[in-house]
Amino acid sequence: MVILAELKNKLTEEFSEDIYKRAEKSNELYLEVNPDKIVEICTYINIEQGYPLISMFANDEQSFCDKYAVYYVFADRERGVLLIIKTLVDPQEMKIRSITEKVHAAALYEREINDLFGIVPTGHPNPKRLVFHSNWPKEEFPLRKEFDLKQKLDFAQEEINFQKVTGEGVYEIPVGPVHAGIIEPGHFRFSVAGEPVINLEAQLYYVHKGIEKMCEGQSIEKCLYVSERISGDETFANSLAYCEAIEKIAEVQISYRAKYTRVVFAELERLTSHLGDLGGLCLDAAYGFATFQFRMMRGWAYGIADELCGMRFLRSVNKLGGVRKDFVEGKEAKLIAELKKIKTELDDTVKIIKAKSMFIDRVENTGILQNKIASDLNAVGPAGRASGLYFDVRKTFPYEAYDKLEFDIPKHYNGDISCRMNTKIEECFQAIELMIQALETMPDGKIFVPLNCVKPYRFAFGLTEAPRGENIHWVMTGKNNTIFRYKIRTPSFCNWPALCHAVKGNIVPDFPLINKSFNLSYAGNDL
Amino acid sequence: MVNMFSVVKKLIEYPRLTKDYPKEPLDSSQIIGMPKIDLSKCNRCGECVSRCPSSAIVLDKALDNIGINYDQCIFCTLCEEVCPSGAAKMTNQFESAEKDKNKLRMNTTVIEEKDISAVDYGIICNELKVNIKKIFGRSLQIREVDAGSCNGCDYEINALNNPVNDIERLGINFVASPRHADMLLVTGPVTRNMQLALVKTYNATPDPKLVVAVGACACSGGIFRDTYAAGNGIDSIVPVDVYIPGCPPRPQAIIWGILKALDRIK
Repeated sequence: MVILAELKNKLTEEFSEDIYKRAEKSNELYLEVNPDKIVEICTYINIEQGYPLISMFANDEQSFCDKYAVYYVFADRERGVLLIIKTLVDPQEMKIRSITEKVHAAALYEREINDLFGIVPTGHPNPKRLVFHSNWPKEEFPLRKEFDLKQKLDFAQEEINFQKVTGEGVYEIPVGPVHAGIIEPGHFRFSVAGEPVINLEAQLYYVHKGIEKMCEGQSIEKCLYVSERISGDETFANSLAYCEAIEKIAEVQISYRAKYTRVVFAELERLTSHLGDLGGLCLDAAYGFATFQFRMMRGWAYGIADELCGMRFLRSVNKLGGVRKDFVEGKEAKLIAELKKIKTELDDTVKIIKAKSMFIDRVENTGILQNKIASDLNAVGPAGRASGLYFDVRKTFPYEAYDKLEFDIPKHYNGDISCRMNTKIEECFQAIELMIQALETMPDGKIFVPLNCVKPYRFAFGLTEAPRGENIHWVMTGKNNTIFRYKIRTPSFCNWPALCHAVKGNIVPDFPLINKSFNLSYAGNDL
Repeated sequence: MVNMFSVVKKLIEYPRLTKDYPKEPLDSSQIIGMPKIDLSKCNRCGECVSRCPSSAIVLDKALDNIGINYDQCIFCTLCEEVCPSGAAKMTNQFESAEKDKNKLRMNTTVIEEKDISAVDYGIICNELKVNIKKIFGRSLQIREVDAGSCNGCDYEINALNNPVNDIERLGINFVASPRHADMLLVTGPVTRNMQLALVKTYNATPDPKLVVAVGACACSGGIFRDTYAAGNGIDSIVPVDVYIPGCPPRPQAIIWGILKALDRIK
């Protein structure tokens, strides 16, 4: 590819002696670089070239090169190219230079690597533990290959330190992990003076189940089912990203009928998820009528799912190499009628809520996520698009049949709850349009191509736009059609720190509303 | 003013959406429910046993018997797909909650009923529970605890409050604190980090109380069974009264399970 060559030349000019190895695969450019120069190289790519850091992970590669590897993934979103910088870490040293001071988005990734691999980021401004709470022994690192998945370690007794804000009248509000509503567990520590929140620290990873470790050594078929269970309401987006990665490794071209079917399901998931978010937003503003309108429409969307595949959460739809059955055949006309019904109802409801001044007063100018913070932290999805970061994986890295379908990306710039809400409303309409387009233009053909074998030690990325935003999975295969390493980065991982920033300066009673406008997944973050 | 008319118009347009489940049965023709293995067709080849993602299918070579542990089953339809003789079939049966976990299992080795001496508090508690079910029968307060689920079960529990299911018609409410609750609905396999929180929530709930495990993870650990950070289901931490299998169980299956815990369904 021309773009890759261009990119490679640019980097070679700057750092000719520090780049050891190069490899190219479709739209992925891998460069192995000198670990001592990692900060300079990442700074050059991120700040001078403007490519955001979208993922970062480590891998225990001692079985084939006696070292650990750390991968830094940057994206050129305008041209749809991934630039992956790899450095090797000596098992005797287990240290990397932290890039967080320059590339802020790396902060959480480096802490995650520290917890799971024991690779210490030297010079990290806040090297607090991330994945493990105080009950985990300090010298155990589960993603190292020698760690046994099934061992149950003793509980250590230590305190978790939270950021302290001191001063006259400043007090703390601890919330969670068991919340008042029916939501997932997480602990929030608010530091408050009077009403406004000065600082919010989110202690997550209460639902850490060890998914990445669990997949290692399992068959590629089983991991598909695990990927469906990463985050319940993003089932399809996650399994699709996994399928994309495996299909890329196996170099399999799936049929257009399967591609269009996948678009229908992916958009149905987006519609269902956004309708739920909008309903939740109205509920937290105590706007009962609108809540039940959205819940009713969500019920209809689930009805469509039931009709299509018999599963409300679109599980067991994807299959490596396509989809499991011809789910849409003969149901097109009925589905389009159902979708049009939702569209009309949504249109009416949106008109009503936008004319309700009491509701609009709550959402406008509340919970503003500034553009600079959003881009520094790589905020993704509707939250990013509401703050002026107008990218969407469906456009930047087109997958399945999205390059054949017409749709726009909603653009807002104020970054408040109202913008996030409007982004989601517009995306609901887009999703309905996309589904109708896909159903009307769906080509005939097979629904899957058999895919049973993959070559060992191959790797690829799978990218999808989940309802919450950019979703990246990296898969490296092992021997006998198993998984060697599965790195999952869901949109929630990027947006949690953004949420903590958006809350600052707002009053405590607005927190539920701000939280709902992001509606992040705890399970998808904690893995 | 115009706005108010639009609202009234909607209220007239959709007067009542609630389905009177379980009095009015759910149309289950499109639903994917529990898998069943037809023993007469099955040739015991073991294909489904080796490929089942959550290792729910057990083949007993000595007894020439094959069966499914429904507490582990994630209803993924793979057994139906891979079965060469067409013996494994998905049914549309979703009302599968049981009080006794062994009824959901093919091999009953996991939990054994212990002999309880006559003075044991367990018996007193159980007697109390019988009376309590009569009292709770008409009004029940529930606290939901997510102990590590993928959030699928939580969304389905959330759906109990939507206009279609409207669980309050059955006298059942969700409350904000365990101190106000009579029943805990627990999801997830109990992660290492949630273990303490679950025990504290259980202890904060006044006695007598009921615990319902919702979903395959809560019943047995499901697909996340037995990792360094996830446990083997709720009953390894707190006692469970009713198990609702499914991944996730649909809202009606959860209603059915809750009513079963209250003995409103036999």
